[in-house]
Amino acid sequence: MSKISAPRSNREFIEACVQAGDAVRIKQEVDWENEAGAIVRRACELGAAAPFMEKIKDYPGFSYFGAPLSTYRRMAISLGMDPASSLPEIGKEYLKRTNSEPIAPVVIDRKDAPCKENILMGADVDLCKLPVPLVHDGDGGRYVGTWHAVVTKHPVRGDVNWGMYRQMMFDSRTMSGAVFPFSDLGKQLTEYYLPRGLSCPFATAIGLSPLAAMAACAPSPIPEPELVGMLSGEPARLVKCETNDLEVPADAEIIIEGEICPDYKVEEGPFGEYTGYRTSPRDFRVTFRVNCITYRNNATMTISNMGVPQDEGQLLRSFSLGLELEKLLRSQGIPVTGVYMHPRSTHHMMIVGVKPSYSGIAQQIGQLAFGSKLGPWFHMVMVVDDQTDIYNWDEVYHAFCTRCHPENGIHVYRNTTGTPLYPFATPQERKYSIGSKVVFDCLWPVDWDKVNDVPTLVSFKNVYPQDIQDRVLANWTAYGYPEVKK
Amino acid sequence: MNQWEVFVMDMAELAEGKDLALSIRTLNPGRHKYTYKHVRCQVSTDLDKHPDRLQVRMGRGQLSTAKFSIQVIEEIRRLPPQYA
Repeated sequence: MSKISAPRSNREFIEACVQAGDAVRIKQEVDWENEAGAIVRRACELGAAAPFMEKIKDYPGFSYFGAPLSTYRRMAISLGMDPASSLPEIGKEYLKRTNSEPIAPVVIDRKDAPCKENILMGADVDLCKLPVPLVHDGDGGRYVGTWHAVVTKHPVRGDVNWGMYRQMMFDSRTMSGAVFPFSDLGKQLTEYYLPRGLSCPFATAIGLSPLAAMAACAPSPIPEPELVGMLSGEPARLVKCETNDLEVPADAEIIIEGEICPDYKVEEGPFGEYTGYRTSPRDFRVTFRVNCITYRNNATMTISNMGVPQDEGQLLRSFSLGLELEKLLRSQGIPVTGVYMHPRSTHHMMIVGVKPSYSGIAQQIGQLAFGSKLGPWFHMVMVVDDQTDIYNWDEVYHAFCTRCHPENGIHVYRNTTGTPLYPFATPQERKYSIGSKVVFDCLWPVDWDKVNDVPTLVSFKNVYPQDIQDRVLANWTAYGYPEVKK
Repeated sequence: MNQWEVFVMDMAELAEGKDLALSIRTLNPGRHKYTYKHVRCQVSTDLDKHPDRLQVRMGRGQLSTAKFSIQVIEEIRRLPPQYA
């Protein structure tokens, strides 16, 4: 593999974004209560540069970096690519790197770990010493974790999990968060810790390198520390925690160590979510008790502000879910030409391009997608043929509206796994993570006669001889039209 | 006077003249704004009845126009001792 030149820390990433014009330095003081969140939200809705807020009210020495990966340009920068790279190019690079050999992390000495520059233990532990923002007005609390990794380890199998489970500050030493039962941490808690009444050690890492955040967000079966190595082309640098045996990214800005309580729950939510709504109700949820906080000098807290499209929750999750499904389908021998989730679907709709070589292929794709670990995160799969550009919504929408038979082409699956965050779900479905799924089969049936039954697509590219197309294209400006940008 | 806020699904949860167990968060300015306490308390729509003020939000964060006064009787310690 050629040398990858990706930012190795959140600080390097901010600098790279500033250099590329994809981040702005905000020098004036910003209030942690709503103002910072509102800046990030507006930047997301405009697709604007990421705000790097250097002066936070009440918190001298701290800063915020908002909307870190809410554009494909910043995603390209995070991978060390040209910011102008196209989405298919970024996807191809992600697949290349994540299909390479795993790269194991290295554990460094704590004296070399920037995240140990300040250590709060015992009576000094107070989450309010960190500039925890009130992200949206009306949220149930100030959210510590919006763009981060919650690090845990299975005590028997040793599986390490980095997951992005939102965390609300309840009091100075307590956080609560939404951990779905089908998630890796949810399974770990329900299978091991809760039945035994044991507390689960955790560490929350905030201000990660962008590729570490990408790994924490990706639904990949590869352990996240190795996935970071594969994405960045070199081993992730980890360091052991102060109060438990977990290992955390050494270059992270802030580390919060503690234990998940099996016998104590406090309320969490509501919170502005990636669907663009506050959907999940306030409830007693998984509770994190904090024992230690470590942080870098002049630490930068990362903020993702979820809401209507588009933010990194939608963009990165869509990106990684789509590509992980593509890997899964290829591993099963399905002749896919590509998989794409538009971020504006708030990662609810998979668009799959496939060579329609046999009957029932759309349903087979849907069943594999919904039956996989990825399945709970989306409820619609739209299957189009290999002549349809999956990245071009106009083409996909046309295929959907003209080829999907309203009776034969729509396949509904009931009583599946869902998330409590589905805005359309009934209160009962939200409470028990029950979902429904649908496949939209936008393929011409293979038993139709290709000459007499399958309609002919009437388009410039499809119905004119090549010499006519070439002539029209060559003369386009001579006809009096402006040049068409590609 | 302290300012507090509570989230409820139904205003009936704020019955007057009864001891209530609520999770309330402080709206007092400063670094600890929005942190919670579990308390035993009494509330009243008569704003002069109790020493502190209570603001109400509904289940999805909507701010209610209803205002209450509140008397915090005691903090309820629910935290098991092993986590203290």
